Amino acid sequence: MRISTIAFANLKRRKGKAAFLTIGIAIGIGTAVALLSLSSSIKEEIGSQLDRFGANIVVVPQSNSLSLDYGGLSVSSVSFDVKQLHNEDAKNVLDIPFRNRISNVSPKLLGAVAVEGRDILLAGVDFESELTLKRWWHIAGRKPEDEQDLLVGYEVARALSLIESTTPATTQHVSHGGSHDPGEDKSQFKIVRGNLKVAGKDHNVAGVISQTGGPEDQMIFGSLAHVQSLLNKPDQLSLIEVSALCKDCPIGDIVAQISERLPQAKVSAIQQSVRARSETVERLTRFSGAVAAVVLAIGALMIFTTMMGSVIERTKEIGVLRAIGFRRTHIIKGLMIEVAVISVLGGVLGWGAGMLASWFALPYFAETGAAFEFQPLLAIVAVAAGLIIGTVSSFYPIVRASRLDPSEAVRYV
Amino acid sequence: MSFVTIEKVTKVYEADGESAAVKVLSDVSLEIVEGEFVCLMGPSGSGKSTLLTIVGAMNHPTTGRVLVDEIDVYGLADERRADFRREYLGFVFQQHHLMPYLNSLENAMLPLATASMTTKEKRERAMNVLDKVGLADKASRLPNQLSGGEQGRLAIARAIVNEPPLILADEPTGSLDTKTGQEVMEVFLKLNAQRQTVFMVTHNPENSALAHRIINIVDGRVE
Repeated sequence: MRISTIAFANLKRRKGKAAFLTIGIAIGIGTAVALLSLSSSIKEEIGSQLDRFGANIVVVPQSNSLSLDYGGLSVSSVSFDVKQLHNEDAKNVLDIPFRNRISNVSPKLLGAVAVEGRDILLAGVDFESELTLKRWWHIAGRKPEDEQDLLVGYEVARALSLIESTTPATTQHVSHGGSHDPGEDKSQFKIVRGNLKVAGKDHNVAGVISQTGGPEDQMIFGSLAHVQSLLNKPDQLSLIEVSALCKDCPIGDIVAQISERLPQAKVSAIQQSVRARSETVERLTRFSGAVAAVVLAIGALMIFTTMMGSVIERTKEIGVLRAIGFRRTHIIKGLMIEVAVISVLGGVLGWGAGMLASWFALPYFAETGAAFEFQPLLAIVAVAAGLIIGTVSSFYPIVRASRLDPSEAVRYV
Repeated sequence: MSFVTIEKVTKVYEADGESAAVKVLSDVSLEIVEGEFVCLMGPSGSGKSTLLTIVGAMNHPTTGRVLVDEIDVYGLADERRADFRREYLGFVFQQHHLMPYLNSLENAMLPLATASMTTKEKRERAMNVLDKVGLADKASRLPNQLSGGEQGRLAIARAIVNEPPLILADEPTGSLDTKTGQEVMEVFLKLNAQRQTVFMVTHNPENSALAHRIINIVDGRVE
């Protein structure tokens, strides 16, 4: 016979109440585990989507002369560069140790060309990687398919009278990165001219990029090899945009690795993009944490109420124990053992239920099939959380029980 | 030599929102010598049970002192007073107040739960007292599987398992019929015959007739 014998016998005797408390803790912990697990999986998915949604690293040649501007980032003038980037460099980016964190490499050659009497910025791109990178582009027309095909920015198309206003219903759109929903497209124009003379040569206007408000509105895009030929810059690149999958990845390390691989280039992280990503992900984590905290607080309140009821109900019993010589600490120990057993059981059950709920619910919350993460280590956190919640919420009732004046309790006796 | 000394004890239950202050005991003084069997008698509300709980180190007197074996009971800190109860006192309540979820042996062992001895020693000691009160063959039974008299004897077993020098009993036969009440009284007499001091509150004149001394209390005063 020890104090623990009394505690276990009491739990056995009050099976219903013990089960109710265990379920209460399990629901609280389970909800928190499910939310944290879901948010962890969804966070990864959001992170991946954000990472694909534009470049977060830009590689430009080392140069003292800067004359062109792209996307708010200055790139060196082609004509004055001493150290040039080459096609091979784009491939070399994928040779770094962190290559599995790189989701997209989009090389570009930029140059000013005369188009129907205007100087316009022409970009040679690899359309496949460029369109993967620029998922927000909506293209009226079709994707470029051969060397003569061009994508024209909205402002350029308007200035050159390639388009005229119309309604969204009559416009044919091509969207990237998933099914296209015409109802979401804001462009209200149609292509009225299918050809364009660039640098004195005829080209096809494959598509016009709907207005983005970005630098692409003022640009024309052609295939990289063709533009290199047009600008007489074979094998040369003006910049390389890199999209790194950044879940837990140190962007600085990736930048350092690329810099090491391309010593002739200047590699910089677009901090704004990195910060935006981390802020979005952090916000999601904070929200999940807040919801979990509320659920746990409700659970704690329930335990508090039940324990208070239990203490009142057991006043007589506690009084008898005090009368036969139990110290306050003995009473606390006995009640704490009961709470600890219930809390640990609730924590384990909650973890299991939370994992299961997260596994079931994930497909409804994550659109692109975020992977379910089985987290056995979370069981330790769940049990610890169960113990903390159980202990904290029963602290006052237990201390109150231990402080019962035996004479008061004996009055019940 | 006096084993229990009660010196000018007064107890006033302070007024609360619902009732006025009540003076339950007034200037009570008495002495009990070691090995004595003393019965405290008096009408309901006379302060018998209050006096018993004060001697039992559970109810702080408003004024006055209680000495047991020359220990000033209320001069002890709260936790030390709990130790004192465990080492010096054995309580027998009118309603027995056995733990319904523990069997007879476990109920008898209850005061030993905090003692620093092996489980085997605790079991042996509890079996001995069960044997003493004639319940050795019912060690595995739950209280609700015992008769009223057996429950009373089990309550006594729990009270004496620590081998306390003083047994306090609050109308231990009050809830029992005559026959089972006699069974319980026989146990008290047996214990007293072994020099155990007994201080018992009772309404029953037949029980008090078995005591060495009867103390009458009326309106909180010892007559």
